[in-house]
Amino acid sequence: PGRGRGPEGMEAAELRVGFVGAGRMAGGLARGLLRAGKVPASSILASAPSDKNLDAWRESGCRTTHCNLEVLQESTLVFLATKPHVLPGVLQEIRPAVGPHHIVVSLAAGVTLQTLQRLLPAGTKVLRLMPNLPCVVQAGAMVFARGSGAGDGEAALLKSLLSSCGLCEEVPESYINIHTGLSGSGVAYVYLFAEALAEGAVKMGMPGGLASRIAAQTLLGAAKMMLETGEHPAKLRGDVCTPGGTTIHALHQLEKGALRATVMNAVEAATNRACDVAED
Amino acid sequence: VQKMGVNFTVSNKDTVKSSDVLFLAVKPPIIPFILEEVGPDIEPRHIVVSCAAGVTISSIEKKLSTFCPTPKVIRCMTNTPVIVREGATVYATGTHADVEDGKLLEQLMASVGFCTEVEEDLIDAVTGLSGSGPAYAFTALDALADGGVKMGLPRRLAVRLGAQALLGAAKMLLESEQHPGQLKDNVCSPGGATIHALHFLESGGFRSLLINAVEASCIRTRELQHLADQEKISPAAIKKTLLDKVKLESPSLSVASASKVSLFTNKSHSSKKN
Repeated sequence: PGRGRGPEGMEAAELRVGFVGAGRMAGGLARGLLRAGKVPASSILASAPSDKNLDAWRESGCRTTHCNLEVLQESTLVFLATKPHVLPGVLQEIRPAVGPHHIVVSLAAGVTLQTLQRLLPAGTKVLRLMPNLPCVVQAGAMVFARGSGAGDGEAALLKSLLSSCGLCEEVPESYINIHTGLSGSGVAYVYLFAEALAEGAVKMGMPGGLASRIAAQTLLGAAKMMLETGEHPAKLRGDVCTPGGTTIHALHQLEKGALRATVMNAVEAATNRACDVAED
Repeated sequence: VQKMGVNFTVSNKDTVKSSDVLFLAVKPPIIPFILEEVGPDIEPRHIVVSCAAGVTISSIEKKLSTFCPTPKVIRCMTNTPVIVREGATVYATGTHADVEDGKLLEQLMASVGFCTEVEEDLIDAVTGLSGSGPAYAFTALDALADGGVKMGLPRRLAVRLGAQALLGAAKMLLESEQHPGQLKDNVCSPGGATIHALHFLESGGFRSLLINAVEASCIRTRELQHLADQEKISPAAIKKTLLDKVKLESPSLSVASASKVSLFTNKSHSSKKN
């Protein structure tokens, strides 16, 4: 399956994908790729210090190892998915095995392209990716930025592969921290909102499990309408508000609570924190 | 009023007799007394237009029906910018007012701004929004000017620019198919000045304040209407001397400070006094 030619002539079936670090985010991306049938499990190799995370990978049919160098030797497209503070050490370790054919994609929050390029051989094709958790269910929001060694072909390949996990857009590196504040952390804001919606329903007499499922579906449906109609959310909001009806009464409560400003504050706080962490 | 070339009289009865379309432009608590006074002179041809906030069509029809079986009543809510021909007016037609009567009023009021027919039960909401609206705008403009002055602008310039900004924005919205939210987005460049400012507005609950204001004005209008229906008039609303004058039924006495101006179309512009 999937034996057609991918962008820039690279056969999708030939592409060997490696993951250095096998945690939740790496797992999410791999699962997305597998579910979309973009890459066969046998072409995926993941490394981690212990077996703790690797069991799940093997169960999916992926290959695993405890040796980071092996990932570089076996793979063309390599995702660096370790925790940020571990990454510099890992880069030192794998540097000898990095060649001009490699495409290195770092997921590490706060580690800049400049740092990555400094710690890898000159001219290495480096890109930086910021995904979010729903990549696991192929509904992720991802942005990536390319380093000086990465060209249109690499960008196109990454975009094509990762579109299987959701929305994937190339951006200037300066947007990556904003993406963290908006969508990386943003997923948590949505969970908070969903929980509160359900709680309101429970207060009014609905059982919690049902309320939770309906809350989630409401968010899903609203988001789907935004994406499919392309209409401005303010207009979509107006469409729901019959004069003097329930919705406008409820919205007034939200405005009284300055929800908009609070949400803006949240995005700002997370973005600033991402910037601070990056500077450390 | 006389300088405009409009006929002026101190006699309410004279105004009624020489008019076809009669605007009642007195304060709401005075309406019942005026209706009592001029009721006998109302004829089938008259279209009685009340601009009094909170005074219902049925209350007017009830008062007039003792004098005239089928009084034509239209209730209207307008706002002060009619002065500059940018008014916002709505009207609701009473039981005996015909479609043409409504259209006539609409023609008249459309000449001084926007005018449309509505169901009577929406008029209180209109009062809250566009009736009181200019006051919200004046308050906003005063504050915007303060902001400008704080940041170094001379007051006059600040007022002029603030007013022009609101005027321009309103015009853009009226002429655009786009949602105001979209128009707002179009002004906000990423990380720029405007979005920083808007964040402050949101933090202060700007939107909710405006919603609260419209709601408060609408609710107060209903309260006043309720009071009027029960014919409970707040003593503070009427000066004692004024009330005494109105209650006296002598036709030679008039209510100078509550006089009505007939908009009877008088093509002659000479300042005739009756």
